[in-house]
Amino acid sequence: MTMERQRRATRRQTLVGLGASGLTLAGTTMAAAQAKVAPITVVINQSPWFDSFCKTVELYEKETGNKVELDVNPFAGSLEKQRNSVRAKQGQYDLLIMNSGWFAEMYFGGFVEAITDIDPGFKLDPDVFTLGDTVFFDPAKKTMSRGGKLMSVPISPLIPVLYYRGDLYKAAGLTAPETFADLEANARKLHKPPRLYGIVQRGARGPATVSFDFYPYLYGFGGAIFKDQAAGDYKVTLNSEQGRTALDYYIRLAREAGHPKTAAMDQADLIQNMVTGKTAHVMMVIAAWSQMDDPTKSAVVDKVEFAPTPHAPGLTTAPGLGHWLGGVAKNVPDDRKRATVEFLRWYQTKPAQMATAQAGGIPVSAAIYREPIADERKYRWMKPLAQSLPHAISALNFPEAGEVIPILELGLNQAIAGETNSVVALNSMADQIHAVMAKYGYNTGKLPNLT
Amino acid sequence: MGERSLAPPIATTTATGPVGAARRPLHNDLLARWGTFGPALLLMLALGVLPLANLVYTSFHTVTWSDGRATFTPAGFTHYLALVDDPLLRAGLKNTVVFAVCAVGGQMLLGFALALLCSRVSRGRVLYRALFILPILIPGIVIGAIWKLMLNYDFGLVNQAIELVGFEPRNWLGDSATALASVIVVDIWHWTPFCFLLLLAGLESLPQDPYEAARIDGATWWQELRYITLPLMAPALLVTFAFRLVIAFKVFDEIYLLTGGGPVTATEVVSFTLYQRFFTEDRAGYGSAMAVAIIFLCSLLLVMALSVRRRSEGPA
Repeated sequence: MTMERQRRATRRQTLVGLGASGLTLAGTTMAAAQAKVAPITVVINQSPWFDSFCKTVELYEKETGNKVELDVNPFAGSLEKQRNSVRAKQGQYDLLIMNSGWFAEMYFGGFVEAITDIDPGFKLDPDVFTLGDTVFFDPAKKTMSRGGKLMSVPISPLIPVLYYRGDLYKAAGLTAPETFADLEANARKLHKPPRLYGIVQRGARGPATVSFDFYPYLYGFGGAIFKDQAAGDYKVTLNSEQGRTALDYYIRLAREAGHPKTAAMDQADLIQNMVTGKTAHVMMVIAAWSQMDDPTKSAVVDKVEFAPTPHAPGLTTAPGLGHWLGGVAKNVPDDRKRATVEFLRWYQTKPAQMATAQAGGIPVSAAIYREPIADERKYRWMKPLAQSLPHAISALNFPEAGEVIPILELGLNQAIAGETNSVVALNSMADQIHAVMAKYGYNTGKLPNLT
Repeated sequence: MGERSLAPPIATTTATGPVGAARRPLHNDLLARWGTFGPALLLMLALGVLPLANLVYTSFHTVTWSDGRATFTPAGFTHYLALVDDPLLRAGLKNTVVFAVCAVGGQMLLGFALALLCSRVSRGRVLYRALFILPILIPGIVIGAIWKLMLNYDFGLVNQAIELVGFEPRNWLGDSATALASVIVVDIWHWTPFCFLLLLAGLESLPQDPYEAARIDGATWWQELRYITLPLMAPALLVTFAFRLVIAFKVFDEIYLLTGGGPVTATEVVSFTLYQRFFTEDRAGYGSAMAVAIIFLCSLLLVMALSVRRRSEGPA
C-alpha cells in the first residue's frame, strides 16, 4: 500500500514532473523565441539622459536576451551619422533616436518606416505621451496628426520647466508663479545683481538655443510661428501682437531682472548659474534636474523647486518640445526592423519606464507620473512635468526647419542684444520665414508688418 | 627636352642605331612617359578634379529627398545669385577678412620678433624653441577648452585678473565689441609658433657676410634689421604670410568652439556659414555654391600673394 501509494505518488510526481518539464520547455522555447530576434544597433546622442537610457537598454538585454548596440555621438554628430546611414542603400543603424529638430526630415524624406507597417499589431500604449502628435505622420497630407501612421515611439519627452529657488521663495513669502506677471514680480523681488539674478535666460545664438528658450514665452502669450501646422496652414504669424508682447516681455525681463549678458547665455551657463546659486529662476529643459541635487556639482541641493512654465492669464503653459523620438530605419533588413519594433514595444511598458525613471531618466509614460514615485522628494519635478507635457508644442514640423531655425536664432539674438527692436526683428524674421516656406511650395502667407 | 626626358636610359643608347630602330625608342619613350605619368594623372583626377567637379555640378542643382531617394533639380545660377543676398555670408566675409588680416598680422609681428630674439640666443635655444612651439602642438579642441575657461565671464582667469586691479569684468566672448578681438587673440596665441618656426629657419639660413661688413662699418642693430635682415627675409616673410593668410581664411574650429558665430554675427566667418548652410540646414546645392565661391576666393588670395612675392623678387 505504502509501496503502491509510493508508486502512485511516484506516478503522480512523474506526471507533475512531466507537466512541469513541458511548461519549462515551453517557457524556455518562448524565451528562446524572444531571444531569437536579431541584434539591433541604435544611433543616439550623448545627452544628460543617456545614462538612464543605457541602463534601461541593459535591463532589456537582461530580460530578453536580445542584443542592443549603442552608437553614441555628440548632438551634431548623431544627425550626420543618421543622414549618412539612412541615405545609403543599406543602413547601418536600425533605431534612429531623432531630435525634435530633425525627425520631420526623416519622416518627409521617407527614411523611417511606419511601425504599424512593420507590425500591424503594434499599439502605442495609451499612457505614452504623443508629444504634440509628432509620433504620427500622414505621408499624403504631409502633416503630423493622429490620423497619420505611427512613425515612432517617444524616447525622452524633453521640454523646459521653470526651476526656481524654493528656499528664497520661502524666505520672501512667495508662491510658485503661474502667470508671466507672477514670474516678473518674483524675479524683480529676488534680483540683487551681481550676487543674485532674478532670472537667467538662454539668449545666445546657436543651433536651437534662443529660439527654444523663447517658445514658452511665445506660445504662453498665445502667439505662434505658423497659423496651423497640423492642418497644413503655414501662414506666418510670428509678427502678431502676441508675438510682440512675448518678445518685449522676454527682453524686459532680461534687462530689468535678468543677467546682463543674456544675449550670450547658453544652456551650460544657465545650469552653472543655477547650481552656483547665482539665479533665482531659469526656464530650462527638464533633463538638467539631476544636477540640481548632485552635491558634487550643486551648491543648492534640495533648494530648487519646479513648476510648469508660466503663461498669460486665461491660457495654459505651452513649452516647446525638445524631445527625442525612436524611429525604425527603412533601409535595414526586415528581421532587424522587427527586432527594433520588439525593443520599442518593451520600452513603452510601465516596468521599462519605471526603470528609466529610477535610473534618472524622464519617463514617456503618464502611468509613471501617477505612481508613488512622483510624490518622493527626489522626483519633485515629475508632477509639474506631467502637468506640462500634454500642452507641449512642436514648433517646426517640416523638413526645412533647419532653414527656419537660424532665422529665429539670429533675429531673436539681435533683439535681445539690443541691435534692433522687437518690431523690426519680428517683421524681419516673419519675412524670411515666409520666403523659405514659399520657396518650398507650402501653403503660406504672412500678417501685415507690425508698426 | 632631352634633359627632362623620363624615358629609361636604354632609350638614349638605342637612339644611336639605324633609323627604323630609332622609332621604337621614341615609341617606348612615349609609353614610358604615359606609363609613369598616367597613374599619377588618374590619381590626381580621381582625388582632386573629380570631387571638385562634383561640387560644381551639385552647386547648379537643388537636392531634395523623398521616399529615401535624392532628386537633383537643375537650379541654374540661382544658388550663386542667392549668395549675394545671404546676410550671414556677408557678415562672414567681412569678419573673415578682419580676422585674417589682424590675426596673421599679429602672428607675423610676434613670430618674427621671437625668431629674432631666439636666433641671437646662444644658450638654451632648444628650450626656448620647445616652449615657443608648444601652442601649435595642442589640439584645436583643447585650445577651445582652455580659452573658454580663461575668458569665462563669471570665473575666467582673465576676468579674475582684471578684477584684482580694479576693473569691471568683461564678457569677452559674449559681447559684440570684444568677441572677434578675443578670438583673434586666441588665434595669435595658437598660430604664432608656426610663423616663428618658418621665420627662424629663414633667419638661420641668411648669409653672415653682409652682417660682418655692416658691423665693420659701424651699423647699429636697427640698421642691420632695416637694411639687411628685412630685405633678405622678404621672400620668407611673404611665403609665411601667404600660407598663414590662406589658413586663417579657413578658420573654423576656434569659432565653432568659442562663440558659435555669435553674439549676433560678431564672429561669423565664411567657414562657419558654410557649415551651417551645408551641414546643419542640409542644403547641398546652395552649400556647394558657397563652397565653390570660397574655394575661388582662397585661390585668388593665394595667386595674389604669390604674384606679390614674384614682384618683390624682381626679374630673374
